[in-house]
Formats: sequence, C-alpha cells, structure tokens
Amino acid sequence: MARGKLERKPLIPVVVTVIFFAWLYLPILAVALFSFNDKKSLSSFSGFSLRWYDALIHDSALIDSLAASLRIATIATLGSLVLGTMLALGLERVRSRRGRVIGAVTLLPLVTPEIVTGVAALLLFTGIGLKLSTTTVILAEITFSIAYVTVIVRGRLAGIALEVEEAARDLGCTPFQAVRLVILPTLLPALIGAGLLVFALVFDDFVLAFFTTGVDPQPLPVRVYSSIRFGVSPAINAIGTLMLLASGLLIVAALVIPRVLARGSSSLDLITGGDVR
Amino acid sequence: MATAVEAPKARKSPRSAQKTSLWGWLLALPTAWMVAFFVSSMAIIVLLSFGRTTNDGYPVFATSTANYRAIWNQVYLELFLRSLLYALATVVISALIAYPVAYVIALHGGRYKNALIAAIVVPFFASYLIRMYAWKALLSDDGLVNSALRGMGLTDGVTFLNTRWAVVGGLVYGFVVFMILPVYASLERLDVSLIEAGKDLYHSPVRTFFSVTLPATRAGLYGGVLLVFLPALGDFVSAQLLGGASTYMMGNLVQQQFAEGQNWPLGSALTVGMMAALTVLMVIYLRATATRTREL
Repeated sequence: MARGKLERKPLIPVVVTVIFFAWLYLPILAVALFSFNDKKSLSSFSGFSLRWYDALIHDSALIDSLAASLRIATIATLGSLVLGTMLALGLERVRSRRGRVIGAVTLLPLVTPEIVTGVAALLLFTGIGLKLSTTTVILAEITFSIAYVTVIVRGRLAGIALEVEEAARDLGCTPFQAVRLVILPTLLPALIGAGLLVFALVFDDFVLAFFTTGVDPQPLPVRVYSSIRFGVSPAINAIGTLMLLASGLLIVAALVIPRVLARGSSSLDLITGGDVR
Repeated sequence: MATAVEAPKARKSPRSAQKTSLWGWLLALPTAWMVAFFVSSMAIIVLLSFGRTTNDGYPVFATSTANYRAIWNQVYLELFLRSLLYALATVVISALIAYPVAYVIALHGGRYKNALIAAIVVPFFASYLIRMYAWKALLSDDGLVNSALRGMGLTDGVTFLNTRWAVVGGLVYGFVVFMILPVYASLERLDVSLIEAGKDLYHSPVRTFFSVTLPATRAGLYGGVLLVFLPALGDFVSAQLLGGASTYMMGNLVQQQFAEGQNWPLGSALTVGMMAALTVLMVIYLRATATRTREL
C-alpha cells in the first residue's frame, strides 16, 4: 500500500489521464447519442427520436438472436460455475504433481489467442459430427469460461484456512458435508462475482461464437457483426447502446455485489477471530 | 484418472483430511471436460495441419507437409511480420498510456481510487465488438470527426479508416486495460517514500521514474506486456472493421481460411505456425524477464 501523500500532482501524467478518460468514453457516448437521432446521420444530431429502438423491437430475427444469446450465456455460466468450482476445490487441496499439471492445462485457454480456441473448437465439433448450433456455442463457451471461474474461486479459497475445514471434520462432518456446509457458503460472494463476469463475457463474446455457431439463430454479437461489416447505421447504434448498457451493469454488479456480501458474511471471522484472510 | 469414491474412513489425522479421495474425485469431471473439448481440439488442429482437401473441398487427414510449405512464402511471412509489428506497437503505446494513468490513480486518486479503476474496467469488459464499431462510426468519412474537421474549414475530410493507425488504435483501445491493471497493482504496493527519496537524490522526475519507479514496478509491466501482446497478435476484428486488405493480420488470414476460403488444412497450418511462433517468443520473453526479476 502506498503510504503518505505526494505533495504536488505531476502535470503531464494528470493531463494524459484526463485525455485517456475522454478517449475511453467519447466514442461510446457518441454511439449512444446518435442512437436517438431522428435522421439517419451519424454526424449531425437533428432531433430526439426513438425510431431506431422501435425498429429493433419489430425485428424478429434480432429478437431471436437476443434470446439465443441469453440462453447461451445462462447455460454456459451455470456449467462453468459448477466445473470451475470443482476444479478450484480439487486444485487447492490436491498438491501433487498431477494437480499442478491439471492446473496448468486448465489455464491454457486464458493465454491462447481466442481465434485459435475458436478454430480448434470448430474442427472438433465438425470432426465428431456435431451439427453447429447454439449447443456447440455453449460447449465452447463453457470450456473457455472454466478458467475464469477457477482463478476467481481459487483466489477466495486461498483465504479460507485449512483448519476451518479440519474443524468441521473433527466436529463429525463428512468431507462432502464440510464442502457443502462450510466452504461453499464462504465462497458465495466469489461465485456470484464470477457468475456475473462470465455471463457478461459470454453474452458479449464474438470470436468463439462466430466460429462455433450454426446459421439460425445466430448469437447477437455475430448478427451485429455482419451488419457492422456492411457499414454504420443508427440501428446498430441502438442495439450497441443496449448491449453496452446491459454488460456494463453486469460488470458493475460483478464488482460491487461480492464486496457487499463478503463484508456481511463475518460468521467465519467470528469462529477464527477474524484471522481467516 | 478418476479414483473411486471411498466411504470416509472413521478417523484420520487432521493433516490427511486434505488428501481424502473427494478432492481427487472433484478434479476428475472438469479434467475430463478439458481433455474432451480443449486438449483434443488442439490435437485435431495439429493433425489437420498435415491434411489436405479432397477435390470437392472436404478437409481430410493426411501426412503431407504441403500446407507448411505453402505458408512459408513471402506473402504470409510479410503478413506475420506486420502482425508482430502491430502487436508490439500496441504494447508500447499501451505502456505509455498505462504508466501515467495508473500513477495518477494509485498515488493521487485518494478515496476515488476504486471508483476510477472501476470506471476504466467497466467499459473495457463491455462488448469489444461495439467498442470497435464506435471507432468505425466516429472515424468514417461522414463520421463525427470528419464533419467536425470540415465544419472548422480545416480539410475536405481525412481518410482515417483503412490505415494502420486506425488498426493499431483499435487494438490499443481494445486491450490497454490489461496493461493498466497490473501496472496499477504494482504501483499500489510501491512505497511512496521511495519516490520521495528518488526525487531528493536525482532532482528530476524523469530520472526518478527510470531509476526508482520503473524498476520497482517491473513485475507489473512484464505481466501487462504479455496480457496485451497475446490478444493483439491474434486479433482480427480491429483489422477487419477499422482496416482493410492492406492492414490484414494473422487473425484475418486464419479467419479467411475457415470462414471464407474454406481451406481448413491450410488454416490449421497457419494456426499451428502462429502458436509455434508465439510459444518461442513466450519462452524467450519469460526467460529474459525471469533473470531480470531475479537480479532485483
């Protein structure tokens, strides 16, 4: 932790930071602004209108894509939460060579360029004769998201002392009960945070979905991508604004909810005298 | 792999609690999943890179090195070199942005530190695609920037899109957060009195930065370089939306073979070649940074 305070604020870094924030937000705000334009222009704002949003609601193909993306994100989140948590628990306690190898392999998707993962998944699904559909997208997204869940859950797990679990065992819990009654409740904030993050990432994910999806219905980002390739239009601004807003809110929730919950769940601190972390 | 679930033995010493078969059993399912869907897919792509296409265009396994000989030509090598340069430029620009921003937030952010970091993280994890689109809309010939320039009577319009600057700019916009976060984390841990001492010693902020701040935050910088370089090298969205054929990167080439060209064995060889080059670069980089960090 940085101690004390520096007296003067350095001028150049402050200027760079201000410009950075402007550069970060201006393009996004421009997208949002022109989604409310009553003309087709993306450079002169002539009046407020909801016509582009109205057009979205009546675009049934787009609604189908939205439904497909919600379904993909929901199932992939649940699947990767289960598998990722199992993996995190196992890796944290199995300290053998085998455990380290498995740990390294499961982190590989994080350092592999996404296009490689996507292309490889496409080859695998085609090779074993699975027809490309929302199901194949779900399988690919789960595989990719397990690592995120594992990293987040292991971070939280490292703060739970082994003794707590041993105490539960000494009080007569079976290993399974120790996990269910002692460890999982402590992990809840991390699980909620990981779940929200993975949901947002999968919902927005374009590259994996692009390579593993079937023709109909296409996930939302894939559909949006093909219209972007044709050019820019206020209709894309409208759907883009909604997508940014939705995933922005999810990320905010992923950052805030675990902190609030972790502060509340002090029962464990009581047992161990607050020395758990 | 999967050890059978045993009935819990009556009483064990506390230490061996961690070795119950439950943990091994918990590992089994996710491990099986990763082998089935990740490891095997990587194996298939390596195998197919030695394959060929039949006369009616279907990819089949074979034992030919023709694909690798095909990608070893000037066009592909130039494209690979270009991707490397774009990715390196992205890393350098990201570091130049990340240090001042992380410095200001970590040392002068006060109680707004977390809010400021959140203000950076939130848009970065919201739709990459829409953020690329935002730049396309802004920079297009009749976009906001050009109409502002015309309005001020400066030019009749500048072509921003289809230039390498647009593509690298898009990559930086896409991935700079992966540099800011690790640099910020190591700056946060830095003792400010070190910087104060540096200022007393060197009387120059620039020298203080290079002799105190930079060495002390090396680990964060090294991590950030990797986290930006890897996704930038494999990206194809920035080059496709903000650039054109003259700015295409490795990712675009791979994407064309799989989505448009439909020569999967050739695409597989390109992918394996990219991963091999990446692995060599990573090993060199990790060894170099490991020795530098040890010297500290």
